[in-house]
Parts: sequence; structure tokens; C-alpha cells
Amino acid sequence: MEPDDDLQLHELLREWEAPNALPSLDGRVLGRRVSWWRFLLTGQIRVPVPVGLAAMAALIAMGVLLARDRGRVAVPAPAPESARAIFNLKDFQPVENARVRVIRSACANR
Amino acid sequence: MTDPEFRSAFHGHKDVLYRFAYRMTGSAAAAEDVVQDCFLALWRNPAAYDPGRGTLRAFLLGVTRNLLLKRWRRERPHDDPGDDTRLCPPADLEVRERAEAVAHAVQSLPPLQREAVILAEFEDMPLEEIARATGAELAAVKSRLHRGRQNLRRCLAPLLESKGETYGTR
Repeated sequence: MEPDDDLQLHELLREWEAPNALPSLDGRVLGRRVSWWRFLLTGQIRVPVPVGLAAMAALIAMGVLLARDRGRVAVPAPAPESARAIFNLKDFQPVENARVRVIRSACANR
Repeated sequence: MTDPEFRSAFHGHKDVLYRFAYRMTGSAAAAEDVVQDCFLALWRNPAAYDPGRGTLRAFLLGVTRNLLLKRWRRERPHDDPGDDTRLCPPADLEVRERAEAVAHAVQSLPPLQREAVILAEFEDMPLEEIARATGAELAAVKSRLHRGRQNLRRCLAPLLESKGETYGTR
């Protein structure tokens, strides 16, 4: 191919001028760079809808379970062995209405 | 990479990357998206650029090119970007302005020919730098450029003839 051909083609191609970057690109690039600590304070993350819904459902379920647990009456735990061994005789009180059942022995019926 | 270094790289190379992406895609919106992604990739991983392997311009053009090819493959999953057999149709001068006809002809080239032509003809980049940017051998770049120019001569023959030259006589 002759150099003239290349030159002519080159000149023709140069008739198509492409624009330079728009000013909006500056904001899109320079504005989006944030340090990690600033990201922690002001950053945003995109969450897919199914993941967001699942996370919300899990939070609601956890809240319901916690609320239900708080409503229950606390059942005292059984006393440990060491506590059972220490008792006082004052705790023993006389029975007010004692119903005594007498069972006769076999010897008495004879 | 410090903030001033990044800003300097951005202001120094944003236009060449944008023009390259614009000529490759024919879309201002796509070009802006790709250039934005290129600089954010640099910001996130500046260590990916090794000054010993070439200029920052070649590195950024390489990143932009990879993003463009990824986009191209996503939009045309059944087309091969390396298919050099495709010929672009002759420009229709009745309906197109000259610049528009040139734009159409360049965008009709297969992607690998198109990038070589754009970087060589419009950005005046040396072949070695194009080879670094495209990750190709120098011989491959020469071959793509040669086939791209041949393709363009065929496509733009009516315009070249109108300049007083006869196409295809040599």
C-alpha cells in the first residue's frame, strides 16, 4: 500500500471528531472515591431485594421471640444440693387437720 | 496512590479514554460508564499498574479495552471479537454526512481491528504502546491495523474517490 493511500485515509478518518469527556464524569469519578472510614459513616450499599426481605423477616422473627420470652413467668430453678442440705427445723410446722386412718393389723381380727 | 496522584492521572487521561470508549461504542453514556469503571478500578487497586511494564496511559487504555470487550461479549454472546473476516458495507453517501459515514465505517469494524485503528489513527499512539494496551504482540497489532485500514478503504471508497483518488487501482 502506498503511503499516499494511508495519508488520504488518515485525513478522511480525522473528519470524525469525538468529544472529550463531559464535566459530569469528574463528579462521577472524583466524587465516588471515599476513604474506608468515611464509607463507614456515609457509605451506602446495594442490597438485593430477596436478601433485604430475608433479613427483615429474620429481624421480625427475632423480635417476636424476644418479646414472647419476656412475657413468660420466671420459674425458679431447683435448689442445688448444697442448699438442700442446709435446712432449719423451724420450717417444720404442725399439721392443722390431720386425718388419721387406722389400719388394723391381722392379729387384732383373730 | 495518593489523592493528588489519582487526580493528576484522571485529569491527564480521562479525555483519551473517553474518546477511545466513545469511538468503540458510539455511545456517550456507555463511554462515560466504562471510563468511570476504569478509574474506580485504578483507585481500588493502584498496585495493578506496574510502571516497569509501560505507561499509565497504556495501562488505563488496557483496562478500558477489557471493560469494553466484556460489555461487547455481554451484548453479543454469539459473536467473536477476533473475527477478522467480517467486512463492513460501503458507506451510503446519500443519507450520511462524511463524518457520520466515517463513524459508521469505524464502528462496523471487528472490535480488535477497531481498537487498533482508533488508537493509531485518532490518538496517534505508537504501535508498541498499542501492543501494550491491547495485550497483543506487535505483529498482531500491525496485522489488525493493516486489515482495519483495508476494510475502511473498501467501506469508504466512495468518499476516497470523491477526493480525486481512484480506489483499488493499486
